[in-house]
Amino acid sequence: MSIKNLPQGVQDILPQECRVLWDVRERLTRAFEARGYAPVLSAAVEYYDTYAGIRNALPQERMFKFTDSDGRLLVLRPDATLSISRIAATKLPEPRARLYYFLDKWDAQSAGGGRTREIIQAGVERLGEEGAYSDAQTIAFAIDCMRETGLNDCILDVGHVGYMKGLLEECGLSDAQAEEVRASLNAKDGLNAERLLRGAGAGEETLSAVRALPTLFGGAEVFARAGRLTANARALAALAHLEKVHRILADMGYEKSVCFDLGTGKSLSYYSGIVFSGLVKEVGAPVLSGGRYDTLADDFGKHIPAVGFAIGLKRVLVALERQGNLPPQPASDVAVCCEEGAEGEADCLIKRFIAEGKRTTLAAEYGKDALKGVAAAEKYFVGKGGAEKL
Amino acid sequence: MITFALPKGRLAEKSAALLAKCGVDTAVLNEDTRKLVLESADGRCGFFLVKPADVPAYVEAGVADLGIVGKDTLIEEGRDLYEMLDLKMGECRLSIAGYPERRDVLTNPHLRVATKYVNTARRIFADREEIEIIPLHGSIELAPVTGLADVIFDVVQTGSTLKANGLVVLEDVYTGITARLVANKVCLKTKAEELLPLIEKLREAVK
Repeated sequence: MSIKNLPQGVQDILPQECRVLWDVRERLTRAFEARGYAPVLSAAVEYYDTYAGIRNALPQERMFKFTDSDGRLLVLRPDATLSISRIAATKLPEPRARLYYFLDKWDAQSAGGGRTREIIQAGVERLGEEGAYSDAQTIAFAIDCMRETGLNDCILDVGHVGYMKGLLEECGLSDAQAEEVRASLNAKDGLNAERLLRGAGAGEETLSAVRALPTLFGGAEVFARAGRLTANARALAALAHLEKVHRILADMGYEKSVCFDLGTGKSLSYYSGIVFSGLVKEVGAPVLSGGRYDTLADDFGKHIPAVGFAIGLKRVLVALERQGNLPPQPASDVAVCCEEGAEGEADCLIKRFIAEGKRTTLAAEYGKDALKGVAAAEKYFVGKGGAEKL
Repeated sequence: MITFALPKGRLAEKSAALLAKCGVDTAVLNEDTRKLVLESADGRCGFFLVKPADVPAYVEAGVADLGIVGKDTLIEEGRDLYEMLDLKMGECRLSIAGYPERRDVLTNPHLRVATKYVNTARRIFADREEIEIIPLHGSIELAPVTGLADVIFDVVQTGSTLKANGLVVLEDVYTGITARLVANKVCLKTKAEELLPLIEKLREAVK
């Protein structure tokens, strides 16, 4: 085992890449602040029990765990939304809040295939609000944020967990069976879903709807097709909600950036309404992911309906690079060197340039040679008699 | 351009023929070449020829938009991708096989299972009994014959290799294992205009 190497699935971010990452963070911070979101940070380490007992918990094999000095089990932040929901339910004075964060999360399992175990993300949560208008605003803002990072041709793929849940609730599946069916449908594997449902004694009407489910994606035309497939009240309510969201988004001018998929059923069980993914064709996995989670905070003792999303910043960087949209790496505007005894003069000169908003470099050695190989638009040498431009 | 990850080996010719039937210019696939990345003459399609077990990795990462791969590989790899169509070719089963006179080995607490489907085997035996998995890459039937394992877990097509070695199927775990058309989850949405018409043609062709 070499001491130079990192464990699988984590990375150092070197200066060139880090500068782009920070640039993206700055753009997003401006966008979040402009929309009135307030920043929040959650502790990186929490008690395992906080998440083990609740029904929305992540699978324990995906959490990084270690023991505290008193023997209690700790986890490294497995999910930002869970932490913020806990904060909202237990610490915020008002149930309403619009928050943004730059919080990394850790997933013990997902290394390999371009996925990392340390996930650098930015996100927003809108706590204490409900309804199609809130959902539509969140989706529109998600698109704005993706564009703000510098990405072109962003698509937001929107679904609603209620449609699939409605179709399945008539079959009387156990939780485990329903999860297996959901996983199959999420993979658009209609055949396996049909096999499982047949085994559970599902009716012919449900089966034909489930057969069609993997094909129910595209533009707003899918609503009519989806509506004809079922009479289930929950599924139809989900459709009506999505149509309303679509109407609002069209009115706000976002129609071209949105598509719909009624066959999505995200694996995170806390989603309760709309779910969405931000896509760009240069990256084979979503760069943004979010949805509505109205009952998540119930587990922490307060009912706070909420909606939010997170942006995977590493994936954004990959997409920016592939789109050729990386911001240029700035060199120094000005570099200054001096002779021994003129350090004070050189320092004054540098500070003057900094006050002008310039990016500066002050050489650590004396003499004009000190600036050899330093990239800068202008170079100055400060002698005891004064400064000269090189 | 649509990029395909296609499996080398037993599904290769059938895959190419099916795509050709749906209007894809696959002439380049018939050329005798050692190139791994091929492009159709009309420049509309790219093909990667990879080991069958590697198809899901290429499609999941979005390096390829579409792939053709056996359901057995999909079960084993458990990748996050869309399974669009059953192409109804290369049908086989995933079965446990061994000697007929030693059927009781299935109740042996330390059953030794030889397989190339390590993840799948671990999953299906998880609730049943303790097993020792012996990962192998080919000629799996040799394992019980030589005493390396008690049973094998492998694809069974005609059963002739089993028969020739005195083995029988003890249990069919998955039937209806066929080749599937898989799609990258993002590409399906971002390249919908290119991909959906082709998927529809394929759906019609395999009906």
